[in-house]
Amino acid sequence: MNILLLLIPLSLLFLAGAVWVFFWAVNHDQFDDLETPALLPLDDLDRRDRPPE
Amino acid sequence: MSASSSCWHCGETLTGGVLIHARVAGVARSMCCQGCRAAAEWIEQLGLADYYALRTAPAQRPATESDHAAHDAWGGADNARHVIRDLGNGRRESLLLVDGVRCTACVWLIERSLGTVPGVLSVQVNAVAQRARVTWRESEVTLPRILQALSRTGYRALPLDARGLDDLRRRESRDALKRLLVAGFGTMQAMMYATAIYLGAAETLDTSTRELLRWLGLMVATPVVLYSARPFFAGAWRSLAARRVGMDVPVALAIAAVYAASLIEAVRGTGEVYFDSVSMFVFFLLAGRYLEMRARHRARDLTDALARLTPPFADRQRGDRIQRVGIHELQVGDVVRVAEGGIVPADGVLLTERCRVDEALLTGESAPQSKRRDDPLIAGSVLEDGPVLVRVERVGADTALAGIAALVGRAHAERPRLQIAGELAAARFVARVLVLTALTAAAWGVIDPARAFSAAVAVLVISCPCAFALAVPAALTRALGALARRGVLVVKPDAIQALAECTHVLFDKTGTLTEASLSLADVQTFVSNTDALRLAATLARQSRHPVARAIAAADPGIPDAAVTDVATHAGLGVSATIDGRALRLGRGDFALGGKPLAREYDDAVLLADDDGPIAAFRVNERLRADAGATIDALRAQGVTALISSGDAYLKVAAVAARLNVGTWRARALPADKLAWVAELRAAGARVLAVGDGVNDAPVLAGADVSIALAEGAELTQASSDIVLTGGRLDAIAAARDIARQTLAIVRQNQRWALIYNLSAVPLAALGFVPPWLAALGMSLSSLGVILNALRIGRGDEMPRGARQVQTPATSPRTAVA
Repeated sequence: MNILLLLIPLSLLFLAGAVWVFFWAVNHDQFDDLETPALLPLDDLDRRDRPPE
Repeated sequence: MSASSSCWHCGETLTGGVLIHARVAGVARSMCCQGCRAAAEWIEQLGLADYYALRTAPAQRPATESDHAAHDAWGGADNARHVIRDLGNGRRESLLLVDGVRCTACVWLIERSLGTVPGVLSVQVNAVAQRARVTWRESEVTLPRILQALSRTGYRALPLDARGLDDLRRRESRDALKRLLVAGFGTMQAMMYATAIYLGAAETLDTSTRELLRWLGLMVATPVVLYSARPFFAGAWRSLAARRVGMDVPVALAIAAVYAASLIEAVRGTGEVYFDSVSMFVFFLLAGRYLEMRARHRARDLTDALARLTPPFADRQRGDRIQRVGIHELQVGDVVRVAEGGIVPADGVLLTERCRVDEALLTGESAPQSKRRDDPLIAGSVLEDGPVLVRVERVGADTALAGIAALVGRAHAERPRLQIAGELAAARFVARVLVLTALTAAAWGVIDPARAFSAAVAVLVISCPCAFALAVPAALTRALGALARRGVLVVKPDAIQALAECTHVLFDKTGTLTEASLSLADVQTFVSNTDALRLAATLARQSRHPVARAIAAADPGIPDAAVTDVATHAGLGVSATIDGRALRLGRGDFALGGKPLAREYDDAVLLADDDGPIAAFRVNERLRADAGATIDALRAQGVTALISSGDAYLKVAAVAARLNVGTWRARALPADKLAWVAELRAAGARVLAVGDGVNDAPVLAGADVSIALAEGAELTQASSDIVLTGGRLDAIAAARDIARQTLAIVRQNQRWALIYNLSAVPLAALGFVPPWLAALGMSLSSLGVILNALRIGRGDEMPRGARQVQTPATSPRTAVA
């Protein structure tokens, strides 16, 4: 059972990482528009010359 | 009409003799105006001609000269201050409301064409909200240049208030998402530790590991309670401060009680901990709120469209100087100059001798209204001839337009009755559970004080208000989404309930059961006057009625300057004086001024002067392809279909016979239609009114629930309950099916939650329920509610092919191929 002492802190670390990544994504507009990106793949054209982001 | 008689770019019907062509992808295409030609050629030059293959609806007509003048005005520091946000490092950001974003092709085109403008750093287009967020480098490009680039592609853009950039709404949805996620992660972890404890209870779990798992549970549940559940505590505090008891008070109490109990047990190391249950409780409740919030925001996007009805600038006249000022700078008493085709910026009084204004956006009134000196003008109406001077009487929030927008906004902000009823049920339930918990504790206190605490907590945990709280929002959100996919936009959420309960459907005929665009089929003249069509077209131009538009399209007519005393008579026709001759165009009895009329002309539009009839016009109208199927489907659902039309008896009778509709009324004025609706409602019927918005506003407003076709006037759409965006009538029957299913599922959900609680809570009170069973029961009951809601609108998706074929043909400005 001693392995728990390593694995549990590790899982908590992962958890903190996941929350941090998600907060970053929310704060960087990734969840502001959930509809439009779903439509975009419908045009299967070459998108190499997309506007610079 | 063939496809070549409409503009390749915007779909406008080509009426003039001069044809303008542009080469798109190597093929010459007809264009309606130089603006469209320029737009098409520019799109071609950028190598973006694929846009025409991608789009599913025709483009907007490109901007005019006056729009370009308006763009330049945004360059002024004073005007720009409100709409531009400084991001530092010379970077600027603006939020644009883009008119005419209709499909993915539009998103693609806007992103690409703006992306080629040097200095533009990023473009994000939200097709659903019709907004574009643009950032650019101030040293290389300016806002007016960006607006011009957009208008060259045919999109009119209005910069929104910069405060909208990090507005309340965006913060609200981001906060909600973060809280939901923290609760979700916390729940998963807490469950894992709890499962280990539950399983270990049967086996041998040594005390120290057990202790460790309890403390870990506390660790992950604490952020959930302190961060994620904060809205419940805040809401409860607000309710208590206002001396009310809302839904939040019992929920907050339950969360606090379970968490505190578990905390005490964890510290004492004796009884059971419920960290998993409290986390799950918070997570499910937050999920319900999040779903509800998204549905609310979606509806709000529609009302924001009203913002584009008022212009951002006005030309203020002081002495003999005219100065362009922002609309917010106008004051009562100012004199503004409005150019021809311009929009009246504020409510005011006409100072010029006379003018004609189009108030269709506001009133749904189909034709331009004649105004004389001292007549009131309403902000948002479009000036047909000009320029005129207007003295400002009311500005900003006091204008009639702002009043209407506020009214519509309030209707959207209102939560659906269904939702409120659901919340009340949940609040009552939680209050009862709290009483029951206290009773349980008291009873066990007498019988066996050692078990009092754990039994009371078990009652609190196993009773699940989440199932109640999720029952309505989960079903409503799912229903709104399923309807939107079928081209049915629900503007007022209450409409779902009303739609499901309606017993009669009242259809308008012209433009609703029949196609929106008509063509002139036959002209019969009674006097040897070859000008009949020209005169008729001139009069018809004054009206937006589909029949009038068909006549107007047949001939360019006479310049407006020669036309005086124009008046339109709703449901009857148009009258005007041309070269001193009083002419009337419209229904036979109206045109002839009440004189008797040969029966064979009952179905024709007559042009007459005081001497008698001049000519008779007949238009051919075609039934929409899906009209018959729609009425059959509604009949199969047990709904009575009715037709009410302002058209002639013969024509309405013919349509009614083809559609098998037994009850219809012809020659009905808007007031007659409204009276019929009132009559039906008095007899106990629930009436659904379906119209195209032109002349139908009173009927749509008078019915229990209304559906407007997207071709109609914008404000009529905004004030109707449901808008059909796809132009498919058969979506009505499908929508009613979904609405009925939604109500059924809401009821099932509530019944299920009640049955679960009635059976589980007594067992918990008697002390028979171990903590793992309480957690399992709670999550399963909530999951059942959500899975049940997901059944709404499944299995009968519209075939994709059918939708694609239909969309271009029924969009407002496309000729029928």
